[in-house]
Amino acid sequence: MNNISKDKKIIIDKDESIFVDGSAEIKIVESIHANVYCLSYNETNEFNIYLEKENSSIDFYYSTINESNNNLKVNVYHNAKNTESHVYNHGVNLENNNLHFDISGYVKKESIGSNCNQDNEIINIKSGKSTICPNLYIDCYDSNSNHSAYIGKFKDEEIFYLESRGLSKKKAYNLLMKSFLIPFITDSKEKDEYVKKIEEIGGELYE
Amino acid sequence: MLNIENLYVKTKDNEKEILKGLNLKINDGEVHAIMGPNGAGKSTLSKVIMGHYNYIVEKGTIIFNGEKLNDMSTDERARLGIFLAMQEPAVIKGVTNSEFLKAAISEVTGEKPSLYEFIKDIEKECKNLKFSEDMIHRSINEGFSGGEKKKNEILEMKMLKPKFIILDELDSGLDVDSLKICTDNINEYLKENKDVSVLIITHYPKILSYIKPDYVHVLNNGKIIKTGKADLADYIEENGYTGIKEMD
Repeated sequence: MNNISKDKKIIIDKDESIFVDGSAEIKIVESIHANVYCLSYNETNEFNIYLEKENSSIDFYYSTINESNNNLKVNVYHNAKNTESHVYNHGVNLENNNLHFDISGYVKKESIGSNCNQDNEIINIKSGKSTICPNLYIDCYDSNSNHSAYIGKFKDEEIFYLESRGLSKKKAYNLLMKSFLIPFITDSKEKDEYVKKIEEIGGELYE
Repeated sequence: MLNIENLYVKTKDNEKEILKGLNLKINDGEVHAIMGPNGAGKSTLSKVIMGHYNYIVEKGTIIFNGEKLNDMSTDERARLGIFLAMQEPAVIKGVTNSEFLKAAISEVTGEKPSLYEFIKDIEKECKNLKFSEDMIHRSINEGFSGGEKKKNEILEMKMLKPKFIILDELDSGLDVDSLKICTDNINEYLKENKDVSVLIITHYPKILSYIKPDYVHVLNNGKIIKTGKADLADYIEENGYTGIKEMD
């Protein structure tokens, strides 16, 4: 998978999956599908995504581990017909700090048949303040749009279940955080690369 | 194995007292059943033994193989060899059964399991439970039927090899064939590990025809009011709980 450094302008013209290190402008200029992954540690980032060609689509996965005040801003522009976007933003707020998501989808009047979706979740490990602003700016009558937002803790019943099989609280959190931050369930090369990145960032996620 | 003395327990959220002076002793290799009407405190007992976060022990002690459990965390109790097969197992998205089991075995044994041995064991246990192997690559209990969740509990039990097993209403939501498969697997485990003890919590005697108890207790109003042999379960099925008089 390609690995692209932060603050780049990226043009995607074929089916592909890429890792980006941080803020980027992403333009999809052909009728293709792109998977874009970003794993962030304690950073503020902004992404602007443009679906310029009919029938183009993107799955965008942003995962962040956060220890101080940071923001994420994602704007997705549906500039052609039958375009599709799925934006998944997951953050773990480790300390008593602020994590803010501002996520916006724009569907122009001419972008008939477009599908604009976002799923945003933040887990507060301690007593941090998190906010999510999910925005949908839809000027087209013939389109579908969805958004979801969740801010909370890992469920007590999940932690209890893992602990009841002998996992310490630390190990239980580690397992839950990995599953929360890594968007893949099945083993794959992409999952291995993602796990390696998490381990590069901090090894044990929760101390 | 397990000795509970004068146990008083209340819930954390609304401070309601559920167990009111419960006493129970289970020796090595014994099978005990606890029956009782709804709301008597049966599932509460199983959760309290496991250290569930929603319950506070106000008074009394729980001793397991000479160790006092009262101040121990849930995972410490599990690593001592206590296993709770839950009435309603949690669904945990994104954590696969195999990943979870490998981590659990590593914590309980103190050693990372060899991949070959792990795969060999889990394939064997899935076959014994008539449990599709692809289930172990799925998220824990996600999309599982009621019967599959219970089979998954028994799979975990067999992989973790506990010394004391609590079956909290294993029979609820389980069809006759699946109940037989699960209980056959438990009996096979007990046959191979004669010192292992079992606490079966149930409403109905059917399961007790598959896993034969040494003692049957009736729990009502927060404490055990009657103890007898296996035929006490038959009496309850015929006469209900209202006829059971409290022990002196």
